[in-house]
Amino acid sequence: MRILMMVKAPPSIERVEVKREDLLPMGKYNDMLRDAGVLVSVDGLRTSDKGVRLNWKNGTPTVTDGPFTEAKELVAGFWILDVKSMQEAIDWAKKIPFTNGEGVEIRQIAEASDFNDAN
Amino acid sequence: MRYMIIIKNDPVSENITPPPEVFESMGRYNQQLLDAGILLAAEGLSASKDGALVSFNKGKSTIKDGPFLEAKELIGGFWIIQVRSKDDALEWAKRIPMGNATATVEVRRVSELSDFDGVISPDAIAREQSMRAEISGKSN
Repeated sequence: MRILMMVKAPPSIERVEVKREDLLPMGKYNDMLRDAGVLVSVDGLRTSDKGVRLNWKNGTPTVTDGPFTEAKELVAGFWILDVKSMQEAIDWAKKIPFTNGEGVEIRQIAEASDFNDAN
Repeated sequence: MRYMIIIKNDPVSENITPPPEVFESMGRYNQQLLDAGILLAAEGLSASKDGALVSFNKGKSTIKDGPFLEAKELIGGFWIIQVRSKDDALEWAKRIPMGNATATVEVRRVSELSDFDGVISPDAIAREQSMRAEISGKSN
């Protein structure tokens, strides 16, 4: 099963400057995922001031430019893993080299076979 | 540049299975992205009852199983597209066939390795590139 593991953080985190030494443990963690054969993709997102939101009402989208400072949480990055179970995904998530205040949300990616009943 | 278009939903709407015509119109939209040669990924997520949250504090992790009923916003799915500009990404986002639904998407630029010139060492950039080549080769 494929899993989306999202890093979620409050908008204030977006202003923190990334230092070179902060990236090393994450690089090692990604290597572990790759060596275990479970890593499908890993990417980070640019801060929300470079993003936009579209809100549809009655068929018409309205565009709002970032940053989304009113948001409680923003997505900062994500992994896609191919694992055997939710528990395996949780075990990998626990090993992320985070220390303080971060959170990840683990969600199953829907497969076409999940919609056999709907169509 | 790559953009991620994130579909937002909420604890109520995430459990409503869309009618077949929504699958059909989204399928046609995905086909347009594919025909334009810009589609890198298009995925939907199963409802948050199948998910979990892992929080980190002082080096310890805490697990909370879904559903996330108290969440104001949840993520229902996403596209990743390769386009020339933010305006292009926006134009494609506006064409998403939402019908008359009240809906929100967030459009965010995906970081490229070149964004980290001067922050990551050249060695680390080379390692990242080789890792990316390896995992993308495996999924193709």
